Amino acid sequence: MSCKYYDIPADLLYDANDFWVKLSGDEAVIGMSDFGQDNIGDVLYLELLGRGASCQKGDKLGSIESGKWVGNLVAPLSGMIIDCNPGVEKNPRQINADAYGEGWMLKLHISNLNEIKDLMNAVQYRDWVAEQAAREEMIG
Amino acid sequence: MMTKWRLLDTGSLPAAANMALDKVILNARSAGLVPNTVRYLQFSPHCVLVGYHQAVELEVEEEYCRRHGIDINRRITGGGNLYWDESQLGWELYASKDTPGIPRRLEDMYRLMCESVVAGLARLGVKAKFRPANDIEVEGRKISGTGGTELGDAFLYQGTLLTDFDVDTMINALKLPIKKLEDKQIDSFRQRVVCLKEVLGYLPPMAEIKAALAEGISEVLGITLEPGGLAQAEKDALECELPIFESEAWIRGQRVLPQANDLKNAELKTPGGLIRASVRVDQGRQCIKSAFITGDFFVYPERGILDLEAVLKNSSSLPAEVLNTVQGFFEQNRVSIPGVTADDFGQVINLALEQDR
Repeated sequence: MSCKYYDIPADLLYDANDFWVKLSGDEAVIGMSDFGQDNIGDVLYLELLGRGASCQKGDKLGSIESGKWVGNLVAPLSGMIIDCNPGVEKNPRQINADAYGEGWMLKLHISNLNEIKDLMNAVQYRDWVAEQAAREEMIG
Repeated sequence: MMTKWRLLDTGSLPAAANMALDKVILNARSAGLVPNTVRYLQFSPHCVLVGYHQAVELEVEEEYCRRHGIDINRRITGGGNLYWDESQLGWELYASKDTPGIPRRLEDMYRLMCESVVAGLARLGVKAKFRPANDIEVEGRKISGTGGTELGDAFLYQGTLLTDFDVDTMINALKLPIKKLEDKQIDSFRQRVVCLKEVLGYLPPMAEIKAALAEGISEVLGITLEPGGLAQAEKDALECELPIFESEAWIRGQRVLPQANDLKNAELKTPGGLIRASVRVDQGRQCIKSAFITGDFFVYPERGILDLEAVLKNSSSLPAEVLNTVQGFFEQNRVSIPGVTADDFGQVINLALEQDR
C-alpha cells in the first residue's frame, strides 16, 4: 500500500479524514482524496446535507456507503454549504472515477478562515498517507 | 498483557431496541465511556431489517410481516434487506479506530473481523473462510454476512450467523426478485446460503456457539473478553434513543429515490450448455445490485459461479465494465467450464441488463 500510487495534487489542501479542499477566497470546494476513495471502495450511496445548511468543523456533512460500510462525511472546515454536486449525488461512483474532478461533493462558504491552517498541504498529506501505509504493514 | 474487552450479551430484544443499542454503544465507545466491546444479540419477535440507505417500501413485504408479527426496522449500517428469525445469532465488535492491531484500511479490517469469527466457527468444527468483500462462507455458501459503520473515533463491525434458518419465511417477508424465478432456480438460490445446523447435522446449544465465537475472537484479536453489562450512560442513552428507533420517521426515513426493483433475466445457449442470468440493477447508480447465474453447464470447482456472483455484486452495470469484471474474474480464478467462455457470461449478463436500457 505504498503512497506513491495515490494521486495527491499539489494545489489542494487535505485533512485526516481524506477530504481534499480547493480554496478560492472564502469559498472551498470539497471532495474525497484518491487515497480516501480507494480505501472506502466502490461508492454506492451518497447523502449530503442540502444547500444552505451550516456546519462546524467536525460536524457530519452526510453519509457515504460502499458495499456494506456506512461512513460519515465530516466537515474539514466550518461554514455554509452553497452548492452540492448533483451529478455525484445521482452517480456516487464519480467519486471513484474522478475524485478530483467530476467527483467533487460540495462547495462551502468558509466561516472561520483560521481553520485553514489546520489542513495539510500535499507534502504533509503524502507523509500522512505513508504513515498510514506503514502502520498497516506493521499489522500485516 | 492482553487487552481487556467487554463481552456483552444483550439477549433477545425487539428490533428497535437492538438497532438503538447499536447507536448507543457506538456513541459510548466513541466518547470513551465504555471499553472495546463484543456484543451478542438476538431478536424477538422475528424481524426484517433494511440497510441504512434502503427504502422499506422497496425491500419489505409489509403486509406479510404485519400478518406474521414480524418487526420492521432500519440498521445504522449499510447493505441489503435481512430477515432475522429468533434462532439467529448476531455478533458485533465495537472498538476505537486506534486499537493496536486493527487495520484502518477497510478491506483489511473486514478480513480481520471475519477471520476472528472464522476462528470461532472452527472451534465448532465448521471449516469456514472469509470471502471478500465481507462474507463468511462454507464451501462457497454464505453462513455470515457482515457490515459496519463508524462514528467519531470508533467503529462498529457486525454480522449475522445463520444457525437454523427458515428460508421460506425469509422469501415471503422480503421483496426478493427470486420470487419470479422457477422453482428449480429458487432451489438453486437456497444453495447460496447455509446454516450451522446443515453443516454440522445438528444445532449446538446457543451457549456453546457463543463461547466458541468468543474464543475465536479473543485468539485472533489477541484480547481477553470479560463479561459485563450496559454502563449506566448506555442505559440512559437507550431510554432516549428507543422512541426514535421505534418511530416511523426512522423506519421509513427513506433517503433513496424510488427505483425499479425488478429482476432482469436472459438466457444464452453455448456449446457447454444453457446459461441463465438474473440480474437486479440500480439504474441511477449504474450498478448491479445482485446477479444470479444458473444453467446446465458443468463448473469446476462448483463454487466458481458463486464466487463470480459475489464479484458481480455492486459492480458497474455498464456493458464494457461488465465484460471487464467477468474477464478479470476468470483471469484471476481457476474456474473451468467446458464449452463456456468468460465472454459468454459477460454477454448473457449484458443481455439481461439490456432489458432496462
